[in-house]
Amino acid sequence: MRMLRQLSILLAREVESLYFTPIHYAVITVALVFNGWSFWFAMQLSQGNVEDAVRLFFGESPLVWLVMVLVPPLLTMRLFAEERRSGTLEMLLTAPVGEVEVVLAKFLAGLAFYVSMWVPSLLYLAIAKSYGAIPDVGPLATSYLGILLLGALFTAAGLFASSLTQTQVLAAVLATVFNLLLLLVPFVSRFIGIEAIERFFVELSIARHFGDSFSKGLIDTGHVSFYVVLTGVFLFWTMRSLESQRWR
Amino acid sequence: MRLLDLRARNRNIAARFARPARGRGSAVISVRNLTKRYGDVLAVHDVSFDVAEGEVMGFLGPNGAGKSTTIRILTGYIPATAGTVQIAGLDVLSDSLAIRQKLGYLPENVPLYPELRVEEYLRFRARLKGVAAREASAAVERAMGQCGLVPMRARIVGQLSKGYRQRVGLADALVARPRLLILDEPTGGLDPHQRKEVLDLIKGLAHEHTVLLSSHILAEIESIATRVMIIQKGRLLANGKFADLATHLDDAPSIRVEAKGRRDALLLALAPVLRDCAESSDSVELRDGWVALTLRPRAGQDPREAIAERLRTAGLPLRELVRHQRTLEELFLRITAQAAMRGPEPAAAPDAASQPAAAGESR
Repeated sequence: MRMLRQLSILLAREVESLYFTPIHYAVITVALVFNGWSFWFAMQLSQGNVEDAVRLFFGESPLVWLVMVLVPPLLTMRLFAEERRSGTLEMLLTAPVGEVEVVLAKFLAGLAFYVSMWVPSLLYLAIAKSYGAIPDVGPLATSYLGILLLGALFTAAGLFASSLTQTQVLAAVLATVFNLLLLLVPFVSRFIGIEAIERFFVELSIARHFGDSFSKGLIDTGHVSFYVVLTGVFLFWTMRSLESQRWR
Repeated sequence: MRLLDLRARNRNIAARFARPARGRGSAVISVRNLTKRYGDVLAVHDVSFDVAEGEVMGFLGPNGAGKSTTIRILTGYIPATAGTVQIAGLDVLSDSLAIRQKLGYLPENVPLYPELRVEEYLRFRARLKGVAAREASAAVERAMGQCGLVPMRARIVGQLSKGYRQRVGLADALVARPRLLILDEPTGGLDPHQRKEVLDLIKGLAHEHTVLLSSHILAEIESIATRVMIIQKGRLLANGKFADLATHLDDAPSIRVEAKGRRDALLLALAPVLRDCAESSDSVELRDGWVALTLRPRAGQDPREAIAERLRTAGLPLRELVRHQRTLEELFLRITAQAAMRGPEPAAAPDAASQPAAAGESR
């Protein structure tokens, strides 16, 4: 109970801080332009087949992956790095709050901001509908779920990166590297030529999880738990990283 | 010979002050054998002290002495390498959350969220510290009133002057009415006028809270603290009431003599008096043939009359003969200088104090 109250107080503060930071609006604007471009591109490719366009847009267009990989690091980079640089982390951690609440509040705030970035994409669907196409609700819903889960994972990775340094830019670069590794290692592993290694990494491929399930309208508990567990791992590491800085 | 003498005396001082003021039960802060190491650097070495309910404890030391490190351990922000810290009878490691609830802490550089308004910031902090939503407004109002922030309530924290930021930090420390206030250099970076205001404010808080405040400015501590600790290179050199500290030093207040004549003639005339002084006396040649002598007589001795008499017999004109009560500043300089003379002991890193970053003075 007490934990929830503290979490909500911290969350309100973090959300406020995210929306008060001008650079996030720049990030969102660029992301929206990319998304719009990518949707237009998908429409062109599918030659008016809205269902195909939506599938292309969610998950199969490299442009959307670009947004998904690059935006969360820019939203999460300051969450811990800035607090450490300015010293407010000391104020925060000497107040009667647990590290779990602090980390969760920052994570949820970052995720909320990322999700709010995707809200305008509902408009695309409205536009598609006005052209007479009625997209299948199932794949759409799972695509959004996939975007949420992937956003959670990248936000957690970004938070971890931010907890490692005092420099925001470094935090963003680190987070992008994490995300790219998560995304690209399975592709690169193909060139090693050892099948076992390749299979191992393909199992870990976040792109494959996305393409195989979410953009096809399937909810596979295996895929879902894959994202959730990885997210948890990054959040856990973030807490450990906060702790270890005190012990150093 | 003289050095040995000093060492023995230092041990005496240390022994006298190392004893805790009261039993452990009544102490708000109780620190035993606290040691903090950063790699090879010993930032705090075997420090023990108590702070009783209602005390205003001054924590003095040069920059890099280990004040901030000690304070950060007290607040639970960093753990100690060895030793125990109890606050209100609770262990700082195992009951950290409960302790943080009883504690108002002002870190050294007063880190605040710059984008919030004063009132918003304090409200956030009050809620975070467990003040209920319906009581938060009253708590913020009270803290702002205490710290003279009411006219600034709608100002954005990032645009406040250093003095007002300091007040916001203090209001933050006060807002949940903690039992214990820990203030790390609360007057750092303020101009003399602001400094006085902040000190008066802290003095006003003393009857409601137990206070531990650190400073490297001695006059400040002297004006508000009921007890003083002196730390240097991570070691606690002294701990006691200011007046006790002064009397426990073996020698009496210093005496300043200004007389006219050649320096050796002067020293010769005063030789019997000088022989009775505890340690070396300084002499400085002033303009027009005047010489200023500073003597440090042994405890309980007042050789002023003898000095006047001897100078008169020797026919040397005398224009000043003053006895100085020791200021805390002088005391501090002497205690720290004596500690420096002892030299590094085997357990200590040779230059703990010369690495302020490691000693926690800066982040």
